[in-house]
Amino acid sequence: MARALDGINVLDLTHHIAGPYCTKLLADFGANVTKVERPGSGDPARSMPPFADDDPDPDKSLPFLYLNTNKRSITLDLASATGRKILQQLADRADLLVENFRPRTLPSFGMTYETLSETNPSLVMVSISNFGQNGPYRDYEATDIVEYALSGIQYIFGDNDREPLKHGFNQAQFKAGTDAASAALIALYSRAMTGTGQWVDISIQECIATGLRDTTSAFTYTGAVKWRRPNEAGELPRSPVATRDGFIVPIAFGGVDWNATVEFLESEELAGERFSTPEGRLENASDLDRILRDAFRQYEKEDLFYRANQRRGLIYGMVQNASELYQNPQYRHREYFVEVDHPVAGKAEYPGAPLEMSRTPWSVEYPAPALGQHNIEVYVDELGMSHEELGQLVAAGVV
Amino acid sequence: MTTTRALEGLRVIEMGQLIAIPFAAKLLGDMGAEIIRIESCTRMDGYRVTGFYKNDGSGEFWNRAVNFYEQNRGKQSLTLDLAQSSGLETLIELIAISDVFIENFTPRVISNFGLEYDDLRKVKPDIIMVSSTGYGHTGPWSGFGAIGYGTEAACGLAAVTGYVDGPPAIPELPYADYTAGEHTVFAIMAALMHRIGTGEGQFIDVSQTQTLTATVPEPLMDYAFNGRVTETSGNRDVMYAPQGTYPCQGDDRWISLSVRSDREWEALCGVLNRQAWASDPRFADGLSRSNNHELIDELMSSETVHWSAAELQAQLQSVGVPAGEVLDGKALLFSEHLNARGFYEVVQHAESTGMPPLPYAGRPWKFSQTPGEITSAAPTLGEHNDVILADLLGFDHSHMVEMTETGVIGTTPANPRASRQATNETLLSQGRIVRWEPDFEEQVRRRFKTS
Repeated sequence: MARALDGINVLDLTHHIAGPYCTKLLADFGANVTKVERPGSGDPARSMPPFADDDPDPDKSLPFLYLNTNKRSITLDLASATGRKILQQLADRADLLVENFRPRTLPSFGMTYETLSETNPSLVMVSISNFGQNGPYRDYEATDIVEYALSGIQYIFGDNDREPLKHGFNQAQFKAGTDAASAALIALYSRAMTGTGQWVDISIQECIATGLRDTTSAFTYTGAVKWRRPNEAGELPRSPVATRDGFIVPIAFGGVDWNATVEFLESEELAGERFSTPEGRLENASDLDRILRDAFRQYEKEDLFYRANQRRGLIYGMVQNASELYQNPQYRHREYFVEVDHPVAGKAEYPGAPLEMSRTPWSVEYPAPALGQHNIEVYVDELGMSHEELGQLVAAGVV
Repeated sequence: MTTTRALEGLRVIEMGQLIAIPFAAKLLGDMGAEIIRIESCTRMDGYRVTGFYKNDGSGEFWNRAVNFYEQNRGKQSLTLDLAQSSGLETLIELIAISDVFIENFTPRVISNFGLEYDDLRKVKPDIIMVSSTGYGHTGPWSGFGAIGYGTEAACGLAAVTGYVDGPPAIPELPYADYTAGEHTVFAIMAALMHRIGTGEGQFIDVSQTQTLTATVPEPLMDYAFNGRVTETSGNRDVMYAPQGTYPCQGDDRWISLSVRSDREWEALCGVLNRQAWASDPRFADGLSRSNNHELIDELMSSETVHWSAAELQAQLQSVGVPAGEVLDGKALLFSEHLNARGFYEVVQHAESTGMPPLPYAGRPWKFSQTPGEITSAAPTLGEHNDVILADLLGFDHSHMVEMTETGVIGTTPANPRASRQATNETLLSQGRIVRWEPDFEEQVRRRFKTS
C-alpha cells in the first residue's frame, strides 16, 4: 500500500530521543531514513535502559528499538575529513537532513546549512537543540527535567506544598521530536511549491513553552501567576483520585451542575446545604475534599469510568498502567499494538500508530537496525563505492 | 523571490473546540494557511465563556476570553447555525473549495450533521479530513467524551508520573491536548505531501490517547519485553543520579538539575564547595549515587537553599552541569533568553474589546526562509461572516440579510452567559494562583514596549 512519505530521502544525523522520534514518525509513514551513527558505539540510545531481558546489549535497548523502526543504519566518523566528504555526498542526495547535535558541534566540523546545501540548494535541514541556535542559553546543557524547569511547565506541576514535579521519562524530547517532524514536512511542502530549501531551528524549551495554555497570559490578562495544584480548592480534584482499586480523574465538564456529581456519587454528605454553592464549597473546602475522596473510594475505577461516560457532562478519565493498556478493549479493538520481530531482541508488541491515515497507513516494515547494518547497501549500491574502498574506510575507522 | 509563507494558498476549515484541534490549526495559520473557524452563536466554544481580560465578565465577554485568544489567533470566524439547513449547506459549500477540514467533536455529532469523510469527498474528492477524539473514531470507547486530563490518565503517562510512592500526577493544564495537536499538524502535512504526489485526499483518525502513548514507550516496551510495571519515581531518572528539584533562596524558588557523569558530579560538588562529597565512596559512581539518592537529596537541599536559583543555574552551567531555575509564568514571559529569540509576539486586539496589545507565545520552530508570524488576534465572534460569504462564496447582500434574520449567522451569542468568574483574591485563597500583581499592565507595557 502507498505510504504518505514515499520517496522522501532523509539523512538522519540524530541520536538519543528527540531527533530519532522525529525521524521515526517520518519513517513509519514511509520516508526513506538513513541513520548515520558513530563508528564503534553508535547512537548513545543503544545503551539506554530498560533493555530486553535486562541484557544491556546495544541491540536490546528498548527505547532504541522503539525509536528506530523502519530506519537504515550506516556508520560514519564526522570528525574525519573523509567522513565529512562522504557526508556531503549523502546530503547531496537527501531531501531532508535532521540533526540534534549541540549548536556548536556541526560548525566545529566545518558543516553548516550553507555548506551542506551549497550543492543541493533545495535541501531542508532541521536542527533540534535544547535552547535553539542563538540566544544567551544557546550552549546551555539540558536534560528533560532542566527543560521542564526552564519552560514553565514544572512550576505548575505537583503539589503546592512540595517540590515541583515532571512527567515520567522523556516528554520534552518526544514533544520536540513531534514538532520537528511537523516542521520538516511544512518546509518540504513549501519546497514543493517554490523549489527552495531552508533551515529550521527547533528549541526543545520553546516546544514546551508553546503548549502551556494561559500560563503566561494569566499574567498579561489579570496579573496572576499560576501555581501547582492545591489539594483543597473547594471543587472536584483535577488530579487522579483513589478509588477502591486504582485512580480516576473526575471531570464535570462545561459548567455541569454540581448536583450531577452529587447524584452520581450517591453521597448524602455531599448533598448537604453547605456544599450547594461555590462559596460554600470553598468555605468548607477541607471537609469537601475529605468527603469527596471517601466517596470515590467506595467504587471501582472501571465502574466509575463507564458509568460517568453514560452521563451528560461527566467525562471521567481512568488511570491505566502498561499492563492495563495492553489489555485495554479500545486499544485491542483498534489493533494499536503491533508485533515487531527483531533478530537480536526477539518478538514483542510495540506501541503502534499514533494516528490512523485511511489511504496511507502507519506501518513497521523493518525493526530497528544493527549498527552499520546498511553500510554496503548505502556506500556500495547507492554511492557507488567499490567494496575495496569501503574496506579501506572501515580499516581507517571512518566507517 | 520565494513566497514568505510556507503554507500560502492552503484553506483549512476548522470546527474545533478548546485546544486539541484549535491549537493545530493556529500553528498552520502562523505558517500561512487560511484558517476559517466555524463557530456557533447558540453553543459557543467553552473557551469563549470563561477567563476574561481583567476578569471582567460583563458586556461582550465572549470577545475577551484568554484561552480563546491563546488558541485562535490568525483565524477568521464564521458563525453558522448548523441545525438550519442553509447553515449546513453553507458549510458544505465552503468545504467544497477548501483543502482540509478538521474537527474535534464526538463521532455522533459529526455523523448527525452528515459531515463524515464519505459525505465530504462527494463535494470535494481530494479533501483531507481530520477527526480528533479522545480515544479514536472507532471502537467501544469511540463515543466517550474526553478532555486532556482524562486522556493523560488513560494513555500510560500518568501512571508513571508522580512523587515516589505517591499517587499518579498530571500537571495543572490539559497537557494531552497539545501532544494530540502536535501530532495532528504532522498528520495533516503528511496527507498534504501524499496529495502533492497523487492528488488523493484522505481521512485521518487521531486518537488523542494514542498520540500520547506513542510518547511514553519506555514503560510499555518494558512491560511488553520484561513483564515489568513501572512505578512513579518523582523527579528521578533511570540513567542520571542525582537528578531532582532542590529548594533555593526565597519563597517557592527551586532549581532542577541532573548529573550525567562522575565528571559532572565533581563539578557540582565544586560549585557547592562540598569537595568531600566528590571523594565520598557512597557517591563514587552513578550506581552508588542512585542507591544513595535520598541522602544526596538531603545534603544537596541543605546547600542549594542558600543559593539564588538564577546564580546557581549560571554557576552550574558554567561548569557544564545541566541545571535550570524553575520558572513561573511571569518569569517565563520575561525570560531574557526567550525574548532574545523573539519567542513572544505582540498582537493587537480589536478596538471593540478595549484590550491593549499583548504578547503571546510564538511557535515551536523558526524557519530561515518562510518565518511564521501571528498575523492577527483571534477573531471576534462572527467577525468574518461578511467577507467569507460575500467574497469567497459570492452570496449577495439580500441572502446575507436573510441569513442574519433567521439566525443562521450572527455576531452575538443567542444566550450570552459567562461562566462564574473567580476573582484573583478567590483564586489566591484556593491556592490556584501563587500571587497576583496589580501593576501588571504597566509591567507588560514596559517589557514589551507596547505603548
